[in-house]
Amino acid sequence: MSAAPSPPPELVTLTVDGRAVSVPAGTLVWDACEKAGVFVPVYCAHKKMDPVAVCRMCLIEVGTMPKLQPACATVVQAGMEVRTATDRVQRFRQGNMEFLLLNHPLDCPVCDRGGECDLQDFAQRYGPPRSRTAITGKVHFDKARPLSDRIMLDQERCILCWRCVRYCDEITGDRAIVLQERAVHTVVDTFEGRPLTGPFQGNLPEVCPVGALTHTAYRFRSRPWDLQRTPSVCPGCSYGCTVGIDSRDNAVVRFVSQDNPDVDDSWLCDRGRYGFPELNRQDRVLTAELSLEGPVRAVGALEAVGAAARALAGVLERHDPDQVACLGTPQMTNEEAFCLQWLGRDVIGTPHLDHQLEPWPDLAPDEFRLAIRELEDCDTVVVLGERPEAATPVLTLRLYKAERKRGRQVLRIAADADPTELAGRVRDRGRVGVVAHEADRDRARAVATALAAANGSVHRLTLTEGMNGRGCKDLGLLPGLGPGYRRLDRAGMHGRAILAAAAEGRLRALVVVGPNPEMEQDPAYEAAIARVPLVVALTPVRGLLSRHAQALLPGRTMAEKQGTVTSSEGRVQRIRVALQPRIGAPPPELRLLVELGRSLGGTWESAPLATPAFDVICDAVPAYRGTRGGLRAAWPGTGGAA
Amino acid sequence: MAAEELRILTRHLGAPGVTGLPGYEAVGGYRSLRRALGMTPEAITAEVKASGLRGRGGAAFPTATKWGFLPQDVFPRYLCVNADESEPGCFKDRVLLEELPHQLLEGTLIAAVALQASHAFLYVRGEYRAPRELLDRCVAEAYRAGYAGQGVAGSRFGCELVVHGGAGAYICGEETALLDSLEGLRGQPRLKPPFPAVRGLYGQPTVVNNVETLSNLPYIIEHGGAAYAALGTEASPGTRLFCVSGHVERPGTFEVPMGHTTFRDLIALAGGVRTGHVLKAMQPGGGSMQVLGPEHLDLALDFKAVADAGSSLGAGALVVMDETTCMVDVSMRLVDFYHHESCGKCVPCREGTYFESRLMHRLEAGLASADELLTLADICEHMEGRCFCPLGDTATWFVMSAYRRFADEFRAHCGAGCCPVRAAAEAAA
Ligand SMILES: Cc1cc2nc3c(=O)[nH]c(=O)nc-3n(C[C@H](O)[C@H](O)[C@H](O)COP(=O)(O)O)c2cc1C
Ligand code: SF4
Ligand code: SF4
Ligand code: FES
Repeated sequence: MSAAPSPPPELVTLTVDGRAVSVPAGTLVWDACEKAGVFVPVYCAHKKMDPVAVCRMCLIEVGTMPKLQPACATVVQAGMEVRTATDRVQRFRQGNMEFLLLNHPLDCPVCDRGGECDLQDFAQRYGPPRSRTAITGKVHFDKARPLSDRIMLDQERCILCWRCVRYCDEITGDRAIVLQERAVHTVVDTFEGRPLTGPFQGNLPEVCPVGALTHTAYRFRSRPWDLQRTPSVCPGCSYGCTVGIDSRDNAVVRFVSQDNPDVDDSWLCDRGRYGFPELNRQDRVLTAELSLEGPVRAVGALEAVGAAARALAGVLERHDPDQVACLGTPQMTNEEAFCLQWLGRDVIGTPHLDHQLEPWPDLAPDEFRLAIRELEDCDTVVVLGERPEAATPVLTLRLYKAERKRGRQVLRIAADADPTELAGRVRDRGRVGVVAHEADRDRARAVATALAAANGSVHRLTLTEGMNGRGCKDLGLLPGLGPGYRRLDRAGMHGRAILAAAAEGRLRALVVVGPNPEMEQDPAYEAAIARVPLVVALTPVRGLLSRHAQALLPGRTMAEKQGTVTSSEGRVQRIRVALQPRIGAPPPELRLLVELGRSLGGTWESAPLATPAFDVICDAVPAYRGTRGGLRAAWPGTGGAA
Repeated sequence: MAAEELRILTRHLGAPGVTGLPGYEAVGGYRSLRRALGMTPEAITAEVKASGLRGRGGAAFPTATKWGFLPQDVFPRYLCVNADESEPGCFKDRVLLEELPHQLLEGTLIAAVALQASHAFLYVRGEYRAPRELLDRCVAEAYRAGYAGQGVAGSRFGCELVVHGGAGAYICGEETALLDSLEGLRGQPRLKPPFPAVRGLYGQPTVVNNVETLSNLPYIIEHGGAAYAALGTEASPGTRLFCVSGHVERPGTFEVPMGHTTFRDLIALAGGVRTGHVLKAMQPGGGSMQVLGPEHLDLALDFKAVADAGSSLGAGALVVMDETTCMVDVSMRLVDFYHHESCGKCVPCREGTYFESRLMHRLEAGLASADELLTLADICEHMEGRCFCPLGDTATWFVMSAYRRFADEFRAHCGAGCCPVRAAAEAAA
């Protein structure tokens, strides 16, 4: 679905420090300054929040207006003359910085924000050269006040920019943070002192321009200049939020949000943000281990690949390929998923491959047609049950934005609600979006059909499990559906059937890539794996697979490899190496999979590296061709790339 | 001209039982409301325009013009009566609330007719407990008599009256903070635009008017706008209440025609500067306004004349100070008031008033250095015109004007180790 074309906004031309700049009518002076390349310091203004103009830091001169005006709250007008660098403005900035520092504890040496603090930065840049405040004494407040197990508040460092309050008001809507007292005694605190409980707390320290709100998980951990930032994608779910992975001494110390207006809109959920310790796990599979004959032996990874290939070839000599299966995981990259389906389907010749337990024989790309951003343009968004928001929490914030800032109707219904009764609850006829978890896709289809009869334009967004569950589907790591949802003649077993066959002793060999949290939680999984005579497993962490594999190959976490992943809405984004592999570390998983296939006589057309492998994917799945730069795959008949 | 009051607004003050409905009706009360109900809203507004009535809440904005800002055809609309009177030196709304509550209700209902407002909210200063209780009783009387609620005075017009007690914050007198407070939020000024006329209480078009402003309406409707305008001068029409306090013999509230009366007249009405003392300074308009001196005694109480002298009539007050007054001490007390009442929303006011207050305490104690006087001036420069609402500006006006006028007195405090004015007074005693 594409948004109804809105008429191009009228342009207004103004000057900023003598430079002419044209911006759409209704733009704020602050944004116009940015467009003109003129930096205006702000504390309270925030790109995602309505202006409040309380910090006064952005005051500038406008035309002949006698008073300085807040750039963050003044709307541009044609011919407006904005001056940001006059003596009057500069003198005021110095004065305002003096005010801001008056009751600030100046405890930068022990503040987590030291080095990435707007108060420090603007004090340097605009502040007075000397302090005159010794005479006044300071008003003291609580320091290190836990607002929850995740967030700390230092009321003394707070400059009362209201961002946290507005975040809880405008962005999450939970109104959990409020202002208390007045005048110089004003503080922020939680409503009635109750601990924060929301799932989006981790954004608070990021909206805070100073060190007042900090992450408990990052407390006293680092200085920003000791960190390395790697742009990547949050592995927490299939929503595709962009993150910066900050690492130090080759360990991840935090995730920071990156603003992708199409997806995350600059927010992360706590599950994703604070899930990073998973990437620092110590119980790793660091070398290959073989127990094909006799006791476990550590060997080089490529040597192990050769041994695994020989063992698989032995099985294939004696048995039908039908008695071999491949299980991937939605945590794999697209390149790995594509390679695994090549290995299983083309090289081994088995139709039994999957990445998850449940079967999706009739999957079609139009189930994913609606883009996340387009949710805001739907007159009504119907959400089926709680699973979509449980699976991809940041979705909740987009829905609230559609509701609050765009005035849309968000209709949350029980997943098993009767679709025929729904049409009457849709507020206006118009564009309707139906959002469902993949487990409810049949119901979503029924709802969409019922609403289409009454409403016309209905589009669906299906939320998949796992970081790259969508990519695994697109690229054919499914029984019966090849890359690009190509229907195959030979039906195969889906995940659960593969496990059942294994448990019954009907499988001779299994190639598994892990970890697969969904499968590992299933009680049948371990017993099934244990019964297969030959298990070739590729996994970064110890667990079930490392216990039962005869050929165990060392894998990498998402922070240690590169490649692409596809989010639920079909956006293909890159992950990059954030933690450098140790010298002598085994090759990346993709290479191991390619070598395994080649050792079995398969032909892989490119170098066993992520970038050329992506070209191979584009040849096989044309919808992926236009996705470079983080765009959505363009499926035939489902609208263009966006 | 001899000092004389001209009682228009207070013409019924003290009439028997006038705080109750029968007593008020006995002096002709609610006749203007009935008349207004027979007029079109436009005609009422036209009378108010002809009267030249300007807001008595402090900003002196022409009342009819303000009413005219309401967008056409957006309903419901609300009227808010600003009875938050908290300006230091101001107690005139209190007189109207305590002595002539039905006149206020009648004026409120007339405005409601003109604005086609479905509700009028009376926001009464929290500390005004007795006046609020009286108002509650009067509103109940008005409902019983059919002047409020559905079908006002038998007409098809309906208006609900709601009395709301503030919680004790000066800032809630600022009209947008008043609206937030009424809505149950923290009383803090709103970002404008949108202005209340467009998006006010609960997001609807709203007019906020002062108690005294509205109390003038029964007279204006009864006698016509022109008659009211003729009472003052062209630039400052009508009469006005002034609260005279400080070093005078008989502090109190006096109603005088604007433009025809001088500060000297006003002080004379209050019995003159207390016996044996001479005038040192006076502050018109309440605590927010700039200080004037004896040379301004013959200035007329006229918006423009006082503005030209560098001050303002503000909310209608006059604080008189004789030669025993330490101007640093007075400045300190006023600064403390703003420091206490700053809502804390914006940086220059929240931190600036704190800074000012700390410095003024050092200065008054004779502990400040001469440099700190310069700091004081700097602080005020960074506050005035830079704050979110006028409270922050006004927190600088008195102290800066006093510093300019009494620079020697301020300087004499620097490093003196005590207040030199008090020391001199003690030595003389
Ligand atoms: C800090 C501050 C305090 C104010 N306090 C009052 C008040 O107590 N009573 C009042 O009528 N107006 C007060 N005002 C003025 C109101 O904002 C508003 O202008 C007035 O109520 C409008 O009524 P009027 O047009 O009838 O004067 C205050 C303004 C400011 C900035
Ligand atoms: S805690 Fe941070 S975000 Fe919240 S008001 Fe204070 S400075 Fe602003
Ligand atoms: S100037 Fe600022 S802090 Fe002061 S009362 Fe107004 S908004 Fe509040
Ligand atoms: S950024 Fe404009 S006032 Fe704070």
